Amino acid sequence: MLPVMALAIIEVRGLSYTYPESDAPSLIDVNFRAEPGEFVLVTGPSGCGKTTFCRALNGLIPNSYGGDFKGTVMVDGLLTTSTPVYELAQRVGLVFQNPENELFCTTVEREVAFGPENLALPREEIAMRVEEALEIVGITHLKEKSPEELSGGEQQKVAIAALLAMKPKVLVLDEPTANLDPVSAKSVLELMHKLNKNGVTVILVEHRLEMISHLVDRCVVFEGGRVAADGPPREVLYSDKVSELGVGLPKVVQVSKRLSSLIGEPLRFLTPEELATYIRGMSY
Amino acid sequence: MKVFKAFEYRRGATILHRIDPRSKLVYLILFTSLVVYFTNPIALLIIFLSFLPMVYLGKISARWSQSLRGSLFFIVFIFIFNFAPTAYYSGSLLDAAVSAIAMSLRFLNLISVFSIFFLTTSPEDLTQSMVQLKIPYDYALTFNMAMRFVPTLSREAQYIMDAQRSRGLEMEKGNFISRIRNYVPVLIPLIISSFRRAELVADAMESRAFGASKKRTSLYVLKMGRGDFLFISAALGSALVLFTVNLLL
Amino acid sequence: MISIDGVTYSYGEGISALDGVDLEIGDSELLAIVGENGAGKTTLVKHLNGLLKPQRGRVIVEGIDTRETTVATLAKKVGLVFQNPDHMLFAETVEKELSFALVNFGLPPEEIAKRVEWALIEFRLSNYRDRSPFTLSGGEKKRVSLASVLCYDPQIIVLDEPTTGQDNLQKTRLASTLAKLNRQGKTVIVVTHDIEFVADFIPRVVVMSKGKVIADGPTEEILVREDVMDASSILPPQLAELSWKIGLSTPSINTEMIVEEIRQILRCDQK
Ligand SMILES: Nc1ncnc2c1ncn2[C@@H]1O[C@H](COP(=O)(O)OP(=O)(O)OP(=O)(O)O)[C@@H](O)[C@H]1O
Ligand SMILES: Nc1ncnc2c1ncn2[C@@H]1O[C@H](COP(=O)(O)OP(=O)(O)OP(=O)(O)O)[C@@H](O)[C@H]1O
Ligand SMILES: [Mg+2]
Ligand SMILES: [Mg+2]
Repeated sequence: MLPVMALAIIEVRGLSYTYPESDAPSLIDVNFRAEPGEFVLVTGPSGCGKTTFCRALNGLIPNSYGGDFKGTVMVDGLLTTSTPVYELAQRVGLVFQNPENELFCTTVEREVAFGPENLALPREEIAMRVEEALEIVGITHLKEKSPEELSGGEQQKVAIAALLAMKPKVLVLDEPTANLDPVSAKSVLELMHKLNKNGVTVILVEHRLEMISHLVDRCVVFEGGRVAADGPPREVLYSDKVSELGVGLPKVVQVSKRLSSLIGEPLRFLTPEELATYIRGMSY
Repeated sequence: MKVFKAFEYRRGATILHRIDPRSKLVYLILFTSLVVYFTNPIALLIIFLSFLPMVYLGKISARWSQSLRGSLFFIVFIFIFNFAPTAYYSGSLLDAAVSAIAMSLRFLNLISVFSIFFLTTSPEDLTQSMVQLKIPYDYALTFNMAMRFVPTLSREAQYIMDAQRSRGLEMEKGNFISRIRNYVPVLIPLIISSFRRAELVADAMESRAFGASKKRTSLYVLKMGRGDFLFISAALGSALVLFTVNLLL
Repeated sequence: MISIDGVTYSYGEGISALDGVDLEIGDSELLAIVGENGAGKTTLVKHLNGLLKPQRGRVIVEGIDTRETTVATLAKKVGLVFQNPDHMLFAETVEKELSFALVNFGLPPEEIAKRVEWALIEFRLSNYRDRSPFTLSGGEKKRVSLASVLCYDPQIIVLDEPTTGQDNLQKTRLASTLAKLNRQGKTVIVVTHDIEFVADFIPRVVVMSKGKVIADGPTEEILVREDVMDASSILPPQLAELSWKIGLSTPSINTEMIVEEIRQILRCDQK
C-alpha cells in the first residue's frame, strides 16, 4: 500500500459543480487522488461528467466557465481556484477530443512553440523544448508540415507534443482517440504509456476499454456526476457494480468471467495474451 | 465558399513566399491605392497585367484564377449595376460601358492583389510582422485566427449543406424569398458550431498558457533582407511608372 | 439494390479518394464499412445519394444511375446520417427538427404527424418533443439526428460513424434499432472504426484501404483473417486475437463459441 501521507499530484476533495446555465449539477461530491507517476483511466456512461472533471483539473472550471463550484482541487500543491489557468497549464496539459480545435498554427513547429512562447522563455530554450517534445512523441519528421495536412492520429500527437513543450507533470486526455482509426488510436495510447513510464502522471478518458485497460494502474468509473468505482482495473472491471453500470466490458473480461464460473476459479485477465497464456499453461 | 479558397495560404518556397510580410504590405497598400485612384480602364488593365509576373513568381496561378472565377458572379453584378444607371442618366451607352468596365476591372484588381498577398504570406508571419510593427499581440492573433479558421468554416459549411441536402433540402428551389429561407437550415448550425468552436479553441489556447506573460517571446523573428529592399524598390518604381502612364492616358 | 461499378473520385489534383471501387449491396442487407482514416469511406457513402457523382464508373441505386437524378430524389430512398449531429440540428424544437425532411419531401400534414410520432417513440424522444435540440446531451442529439432521417422511412439507411463518443448502452440500443429496421426489410450500411461493434452486431463487412475495397464478406470470416488485418489499419477484435493465440483451428469472434472451445480444451486436458 502507498503511505497515506504521500504527496498527491492531484487531490480533489468534495467537488460539486454546476454549469452557469444549468440547473442540475454535473459533478457531485467527487473525491479523487492521484499519486505522481500514476496512469488513471476514467470511464463511464455518456454525460456522466468526465469532460467536466477534466476541465476542473486544469482550472478551466471554474476560472473560465464560472458556475457553482464547491470543494477543492489541488494540482501539484496549487489550489485551482486561486491559480490562473496559464499557471496551471505548466503543470497540467489537457488534450481534447477533436484535434481540429486544438491546433491553430500553420506548421507543427510553431504549434509546439506556441505554449513556451506564451511563457516568454528565452528563444534558445523554446527551440530546445520544441526539439525535445517532437523527439519524444516521434514526429520530428513532421516539423515543417502544416497540421491540416496530417492524419487525425498525427494531429493528436502534435497536440500532445505542444503540451509536453510546457513540461507539465500531468497530462489529462479527454477521449483523444474518438475520431481515430484503431491503429492510430493504439499508437496514441501507446505513446501515453511511454510518457507515463517517463514519469508523467496520465489521466485518460476512454470508452473503448479493450484498448487501454491493461496499460493503466487504476480505473475510475463515473456515473451521474459521482465516482461509482475506483481501483485497479482487474478489480473494477471484474466487479459486479461496474457490469450493472453498463460499461462496455472488453471481450476478454466477458470470456474470463464465464470461464471463472464454469471452472470455479477466479480468472482476471485483461488481454487476449494473458488469457491465451493461461489456457496454454493449463493444457500441459 | 470557393472564393475563400482563393485566399487560403499554402506553404511554398518561392521568392514571393520568402519576402517579408512588411514588404508585401507595402506592395499591397501601394497597389490598392492605385487601383482605387485610377479611373481609366486602360490603366486598370495595365495594372491587371502587372499582376501576371507576380502570380508566376509565387506559383499561385491555379488558386488565383480560381479566385477570379469565384468572383465572376460579383463582377457581372457590378457591371450591370454600374452600366444600367449610368446609361439611364447620361444617355450614352459608351460612357456607361467604359465606367462599368472600369468598375469591374477595379474589383478584379482588388481581388488579385489581396489574393497575391494572402496566398503567399503565412498567417503567423503576418502576425509576427504586426507584432514587430508594435500592434498588440492580442489584436494580431485575433486577425491570425480569423484567417486560420476561414477554410475550416467553409469546410464546415460544406458538411452542413451535405447533411441538409441529404434530408431533402433543395437550396435552389423556389423564388427569391424562399431561396433565402432555404439558407436558414445551413446558417443556424454554421453559426452555432462556430461559436462552439471559438469556445473550444479558447479552451485549448488557455490550456497552453495563453496570456501568461505580457511580453511574449517568438521562436522566429522576421528580418528584412536585401531581397526585401529590392522588392520594395521595384514596387515603388512600378507604381511610379503606372502613375505616370495613367496621367498620360 | 445498390451496385457500385469501378468508381473513382478525387477531390483535387493528386491522390484519388476512391480508386476503382466495385461493390454490390443486395436488398435488406446489414453491412459495415471499415478502414483507416482517409480510406475513402465517407467519400463512398456520399455517392449513394448523389452528393458526389462518380468521376469514372457508375453508381446504380434501385435501378437509377445517380448521375441522372437529383440529390433530393435519391435522398428519399437513401437516408444518410452524418457523424456530427451539430451539422444538421437547427430547428426550435425536436418535433420541428423531425418534420424537416418530411416537409421537404412534401408529405401531407397527417402523414407528417404520424411519422413524427413514430420517431419520437422509437428513439425515446417523447419527453423532449418541445425541447430545443441544442440543449440536449451528445447522445440525445445523436438520436434526434438519426430519428430525423429514419422518420421518412428511407429504404436504404447509411450511418457514418454512429458510435463515436457513445457509451456501451447507447451502442447496444442503436444496434437493436438497426437490427429491427433490417428485419423490416431495410438495407442498413454502417461506417465505423468500432471493430467490436461490427463483430457483435453486423453480419457483413467491407474493408477499405487507400480508396480501394480490399476485402468483403461475412464478418466472422473477414475479421479473423490476419492478412486483411495487416493490410488495413484495423485491429482484430479481441476474440479473433485470442483465437489465434490459443491456436484454434476455426478462429471465431463469438463469445459463446469461444467459451465452448476453451471449455473443450480445458476439459480434455483434465481427463
Ligand atoms: N458547457 C456546458 N454547459 C452546461 N452544461 C454542460 C456543459 N457541458 C456539459 N454539460 C452538462 O454536464 C453533464 C456532464 O457532461 P460532460 O460533458 O462532462 O459528460 P461526459 O461524461 O464527458 O460525456 P460524454 O461521454 O458524452 O463526453 C451533462 O449533463 C451535460 O449536459
Ligand atoms: N472535402 C474534401 N476536400 C479535399 N479532400 C478531401 C475532402 N474530403 C475528403 N478528402 C480526402 O479524401 C480522402 C478520403 O477521405 P474520406 O473522408 O472519404 O475518408 P474516410 O475513410 O471517411 O476517413 P475517416 O475515417 O477519417 O472519416 C482523404 O485523403 C481526405 O483527405
Ligand atoms: Mg466528454
Ligand atoms: Mg469519414
